[in-house]
Amino acid sequence: MLKYLASTLKEIILLTRDRGGLAMLFIMPVALIIIMTLLQDSTFKALEERKLPILILNMDQDTFGINIYEGLSSSSFFSVIAQEENSQDPVGSLKKRVASGEFQIGIIIKSDASNRLRNNIRYNIIKQLPEEDSLFFGEMSIQRKDKPKIEIYFDPITKNSFKQSITSALNEFSSGVEAKVLFNVYSSLFKELLDMDMNNEGGFKKLVDIETLYATNDGQMTVPNSVQHNVPAWTIFAMFFIVIPLAGNIIKERETGISQRLKVVSGSTLPIILGKVTTYFFVGILQAVSMLAVGVWVLPLLGLPQLILGSNIIALILLTALVSLAASGYGVVIGSIANSQEQSSIFGSISVVILAAIGGIWVPVFIMSDIMQKVSMISPLNWALRGYYDVLLRNSNTFEILPSLISLLSFFVLCLGIAWRFNSTRKSY
Amino acid sequence: MDVAIDVIKLSKEYKNTSTLAVDDISFSIEEGEMFGLLGPNGAGKTTTISILCGLLQSTKGEVIIGGMNSITHSDSIKKIIGIVPQDIALYPNLTAYENLRFFGNMQGIKGTHLKHRISELLGIFGLEQKAKQKVNTFSGGMKRRVNLIAGILHAPKILFLDEPTVGIDVQSRKVIMEYLMTLKQVGMTIVYSSHHMEEAEKFCDRVAIIDFGKIIVHGKPNNMIEKYDNCNNLEDIFIETTGRSLRD
Ligand SMILES: Nc1ncnc2c1ncn2[C@@H]1O[C@H](COP(=O)(O)OP(=O)(O)OP(=O)(O)O)[C@@H](O)[C@H]1O
Ligand SMILES: [Mg+2]
Repeated sequence: MLKYLASTLKEIILLTRDRGGLAMLFIMPVALIIIMTLLQDSTFKALEERKLPILILNMDQDTFGINIYEGLSSSSFFSVIAQEENSQDPVGSLKKRVASGEFQIGIIIKSDASNRLRNNIRYNIIKQLPEEDSLFFGEMSIQRKDKPKIEIYFDPITKNSFKQSITSALNEFSSGVEAKVLFNVYSSLFKELLDMDMNNEGGFKKLVDIETLYATNDGQMTVPNSVQHNVPAWTIFAMFFIVIPLAGNIIKERETGISQRLKVVSGSTLPIILGKVTTYFFVGILQAVSMLAVGVWVLPLLGLPQLILGSNIIALILLTALVSLAASGYGVVIGSIANSQEQSSIFGSISVVILAAIGGIWVPVFIMSDIMQKVSMISPLNWALRGYYDVLLRNSNTFEILPSLISLLSFFVLCLGIAWRFNSTRKSY
Repeated sequence: MDVAIDVIKLSKEYKNTSTLAVDDISFSIEEGEMFGLLGPNGAGKTTTISILCGLLQSTKGEVIIGGMNSITHSDSIKKIIGIVPQDIALYPNLTAYENLRFFGNMQGIKGTHLKHRISELLGIFGLEQKAKQKVNTFSGGMKRRVNLIAGILHAPKILFLDEPTVGIDVQSRKVIMEYLMTLKQVGMTIVYSSHHMEEAEKFCDRVAIIDFGKIIVHGKPNNMIEKYDNCNNLEDIFIETTGRSLRD
């Protein structure tokens, strides 16, 4: 116990003396999180929504305009953003935003569209009646008006398939509205003609319901947004990067002869290893806390979504602790196996980068090919990331993330075992 | 007197080398003796000392320390030995005091006992003013002295020192050697290697000159000088027995 405590205390003092190294451990990852989240924000938005953003200027604000607007909004293929109408030149501003590429599609529903539609339908009906009946309405004065109008502006780079889908959607919605209006006009004419109230029940409901669903392997797959992916991902990455200072620390002790000295005076090397693990474990925890804090408080200031920590804080803490343990274990193993500082820092950093790439830290696993999705499972960083997805996105509790926790713990124990064996059988110092 | 260390037909061959670093050597060291291991660079001094304190496994042969076999009783042996390595085995970023406290704890000493022991030794070696300074600000001689203190905090029965006086000034050398003599007087067995013949001649009860892993001559310095007619001191014998060629 004395040896363990002394070893821990010594490591803490050493760490606090290495201001530069400490700053690297905290500042670099925070920068990484901010940059990667900003970079990938739009990519993730597209992934998350898989919806085509369209900008709509509804100048009609009556049955026709409202119906089209709501129709498009409720579609799972479009995300509808309304163009502010109170600006000086809403039409010009809409065109500009599409031309500048902010939106690929802009739609203008011209003013008075609903009135024109009603008028023209009424006109058509009356024109169909025999002359004496139409006179009955005293409506000979009714004039055909210009058709209601929808203008669609495309960004020149818009794909044809998008153009088609928006045009057909608009056709669908406008015929829906036409039918609705037609029905209303008829019922009011009937009322005038026969003084008969139509039973409006049932209205004009859609008779066919088409539901659009995504086909995914995993029925409950939830796609994270940029923040929900990048913050935990780079937190894990940074935590695993402590293998470099930790392994370096172990090798330095060997190179300076300190570990020989310790081997002579101390029975087992285990308390010494555990002292290091403890110290770097807490470094990992501090890293995680600071990076999650960046996700919660700093990213929103940059216009990014806030990181929501989910409702299972205990699961989150346990998971973070085990990630930190696994990372320290990995550092100890590399420090014990590598023969020189150079070997350990090169092997350490490259292996962490590879494990990160495989594990879906750089490119999320769910957009990898099937084979790579399988391969990703060998990476401890992937077990960690899955755990975070579960806790942050699905509100999983400790029990539900048990597979991640157990894998990480086993990894740690395995690492420690290997390192211990290596240290006690190492013949050349 | 009892035998503190018995070395029987010891050989060491490092991996991937064709020659033996230690080649079939046998000698014994008595309790309370100060024994000098002398030899040119690469002779096998460090290798021998490393095997004696259990850091290296021998290829052949046997080592008995305090009556215990070095392989089967390594844990018990660890409790009675101390080592002062050839390299400065200290944390450069810790102060002298922090280094010594850590190594003291590792040797199982703690609390006020350790505190007193550290300040006592720092005092003896003229470092009490420097206790709170980082070791990387120390001169070579100061580092050597701290390196030595770290190996004797627990007052071992048998002390191994690998070139404890290399690269230091006359004053430091004097303090170190005189302190080693006081340790010897209280019964500590001391095995030390050196390139400094005058020093060995003056302080060692017996010396062994080794070269290419073999013991060439060993015995009391005075007896050896008498034996070699044309030699007036240990240095002459050293040159006489190991030749003038440079070693790696
Ligand atoms: N780890 C090692 N691997 C291979 N060969 C080694 C190793 N350590 C030492 N040797 C070789 O063993 C021989 C003895 O080396 P050793 O360090 O014991 O010499 P030494 O007497 O302590 O020399 P010096 O006075 O320079 O310290 C040398 O030839 C050296 O090259
Ligand atoms: Mg040597």
